[in-house]
Amino acid sequence: MFRRCLCIALALSGSVALAQTAPPGYPADYAQTIAAANKEGKVVIYSALDTKAAQPLIKDFSALYPNIKVEYSDLNSTELYNRFIAEAASGQGSADVMWSSAMDLQIKLVDEGHSLPYLSPEASKLPTWAVYKNQAYGTTYEPAVFIYNKRLVTADEVPQDHAAFAKLINTKVEKFKGKVTTYDIEKSGVGFMFAVQDTKFFPGMKELEQGFGASSYRVYGSTGNMLEKVSSGEHLLGYNVLGSYALVRAKKDAALGVVLPKDYTLVLSRVLFIGKQAKNPNAAKLWLDYILSQRGQKLIGSDVELFSIRNDVDAEYTAASLTKLLGPNNVKPIPVSAEIVTYLDQKKRLDFLNAWKATLAAGAAGK
Amino acid sequence: MRTATLAAVPRSLTILVTAAAVLAPLVLILYQSFLTAPFFDARKTVGIGAYEFIFADSDFWQASLNSVVIAFAMVVIAVPLGSLLAFVMERTDLPGKRWIEPLILVPSFVSPMVLAFGFVVAAGPVGFYTVWATEWLGGAPWGIYSLTAIGIIAGLLHVPNVYVYASAALKSLGSDVEEAARVAGASPFRVAATVSLPLIMPALLFAAVLVFFLGFELFGLPLVLGDPEGHLVLSTYLYKLTNKLGTPSYHLMAAVAICIVAVTFPLVLLQRYLLQNSRKYATIKGKAGRMRELPLGKWKWVAVALIGFWLFVGVIVPLSGIALRAFVTNWGYGAKLAEVLTLEHFQSVFDEPILVRAIWNTILIGTVGGAIAVACYTAIGFATHRRNDGWSRFVDYLVLVPRAIPGLLAGLAFLWVFLFFPPLQPLRTTIFSMWLAYTVVWLAYGMRLISSSLMQVSTELEEAARTVGASRGQISRQITLPLIRHGLIASWLLVFMIFEREYSTGVYLLAPGTEVIGAQLVSLWQGGAIDVVAALSLINVVLVGVGLALALRFGVRLRD
Repeated sequence: MFRRCLCIALALSGSVALAQTAPPGYPADYAQTIAAANKEGKVVIYSALDTKAAQPLIKDFSALYPNIKVEYSDLNSTELYNRFIAEAASGQGSADVMWSSAMDLQIKLVDEGHSLPYLSPEASKLPTWAVYKNQAYGTTYEPAVFIYNKRLVTADEVPQDHAAFAKLINTKVEKFKGKVTTYDIEKSGVGFMFAVQDTKFFPGMKELEQGFGASSYRVYGSTGNMLEKVSSGEHLLGYNVLGSYALVRAKKDAALGVVLPKDYTLVLSRVLFIGKQAKNPNAAKLWLDYILSQRGQKLIGSDVELFSIRNDVDAEYTAASLTKLLGPNNVKPIPVSAEIVTYLDQKKRLDFLNAWKATLAAGAAGK
Repeated sequence: MRTATLAAVPRSLTILVTAAAVLAPLVLILYQSFLTAPFFDARKTVGIGAYEFIFADSDFWQASLNSVVIAFAMVVIAVPLGSLLAFVMERTDLPGKRWIEPLILVPSFVSPMVLAFGFVVAAGPVGFYTVWATEWLGGAPWGIYSLTAIGIIAGLLHVPNVYVYASAALKSLGSDVEEAARVAGASPFRVAATVSLPLIMPALLFAAVLVFFLGFELFGLPLVLGDPEGHLVLSTYLYKLTNKLGTPSYHLMAAVAICIVAVTFPLVLLQRYLLQNSRKYATIKGKAGRMRELPLGKWKWVAVALIGFWLFVGVIVPLSGIALRAFVTNWGYGAKLAEVLTLEHFQSVFDEPILVRAIWNTILIGTVGGAIAVACYTAIGFATHRRNDGWSRFVDYLVLVPRAIPGLLAGLAFLWVFLFFPPLQPLRTTIFSMWLAYTVVWLAYGMRLISSSLMQVSTELEEAARTVGASRGQISRQITLPLIRHGLIASWLLVFMIFEREYSTGVYLLAPGTEVIGAQLVSLWQGGAIDVVAALSLINVVLVGVGLALALRFGVRLRD
């Protein structure tokens, strides 16, 4: 009872204090934004991150701004996009904040004028590639990793880089037939984006795709399925799995091994922007700034386990720790830029998909 | 004259609302299929590009072929098994019939999505039974991800659909001709094959068309079982199009939906025609005498064993798989059951406000929503009851329309209606949107329940009321409605179970506030949260089980 009273007391005093002053380093008129946000009283967030995973952030934000209720909905990234454009077109207003791992779709929305321009006071703390037109911001630093089943894949087999992965599935065809998994690039936008980036950085991509064909690889629409199937031993190897989720599960799951590829590791950054029709634009600004702030990023690098994008954050999972582990030249973040929407063009996308399928078929026929 | 006008208003209103609810989504889908972008996108143009695209896509043809193959496999498996089962249950001295009857109907009340999960966790490459078989026998001689396997599983799960119609037809058929054959020395199966089953051919034909049609609409099973090896059917191809081009391809999805409707709607009409025909046949039946059970003799235990095996494969394997998976942390080769037992999956379900809301919503939509749906169906039933005008015939056909549209697409179309039809906009993120879609999608089913109740009220009672000067409304309220109340309660229970089981309609309507277990399962499955899926599936099975137990307790006939 006493503890609860104390909490309420703290929360109240906090809200009073914050209602008046801006955080250090913020422009002086930020206090007005906070006051306006408090008046709005809530912020509606559409996110591709599970509610459960986002819980620490929501709790901490509510502690910081107790008068602002967080309405958080998690949807898969395509649904998120579909719902947002449909709601925007119906003129009923949609999410205040859009936060999604489908970087390309987010950029497309910004380009089509669905976002509210807002220069965050935290923007200067981010790498330049993570800020787009002062409207959309990269918020995390999540590596794409390999996963394997520790019970069934021997230590000397575990591939440490992309070339080793390609070689393994091309040579030990018997063992890995039907046991290799990755994203279905027709179903998953994130998987598609990773595949496009791979063709940029990995000269042996053709061999890898042929290996997928030769080992009749299995594809899924989401990371969760791949983790489950590799952990259970139904599959043995997973390619381009979202590392943030994999590392979390590997902590509790003795059967799951994770490799950060040594030659290069792709990095995805969840993109966040404020909706143009936002009904609570000020509260949305507070959320955006909070997520980019040192306080929010510290949680992202620890409890949320998504890797902090800021270099000045001390936590277990950060861009800095990843860079230190792999070497500065081997980390390849996908830039929050206009370039990544190239493949949303119908023809280019279908060409890419067809070329991918053709190489797979060639690989399957070759063995 | 004035009272007649007054009484006519609600009727025309009922018909109007029904027509709007049924036709709006269909028209919207049709319109969308002839556009080049979402219909709400300013850059859309009219054209047949969507059809050109899907007809040029090899996946579409592969998916169509797979759909046809699976539908045929289901007919070939379900019709003979279902009719034999009906014969054995209706005509012979099979032991334990009273127990077997409700068990037979279980597969048709459990969500196919749940059964499919069940097969994966029980008999998949690292399922419980597979691991045990490998440990004890050195290998498991089955696979569940191939097209053949999907066809066989779907066929076995649709045996009840055939059984229901075949046994109803056998009930109305006198057994004297069969006895004659038996006296002449025919074995029980010879009697079945040469006498009983040919006599109920119209009902079997109807059931075959029904099963083929259901096979064409199959979604949950191929979604879960077809995924690992990439086998697409039309409905899962449609679902895949959500993301194929990176952005939503509603025009392509609508075009596929229209192609599906082009096949299913004629089938629905064919069913209707066959049903009327089989009723005509029913008059040419043997003299109804006291039914005598044929002694099965040495075949008795063979029959019991076969039925037991079918129940084991179709019901016990998947449900035990789900039940077990809900209580273990992880599973696979090398995992020991005793070490992985846990209750934490249920903990995580109950810790997640969205899932708790999904459970409450599911209960709500089944109980309250089911009751309101039955009320609506009854209103429509009264609008056409004992009237043989053009409007009645219009409604007769109208209620068949939603049957032909895949639930997945009907849900999407309802989302559009709720987004862009201003009076409904505030209701979109409430459970009402889900309820309306469910009620319309299951309209044909509900109407069959209601009209079979209405048909049991004999005309004399209504005519008697009319002669003493009662208006139509008074007759409905004071005579007919009280007389069919038991039928309505039974319908409510059946609609409850159907609404608990439904999953595909809600996929696109899922939003904060409208969560239901069925649609949530599809979404969670896509995300790979197997632990939560298993726990939630078990909760769903329990809900359906409660409905089933109540239905049995109150002696509700589980079939229409």
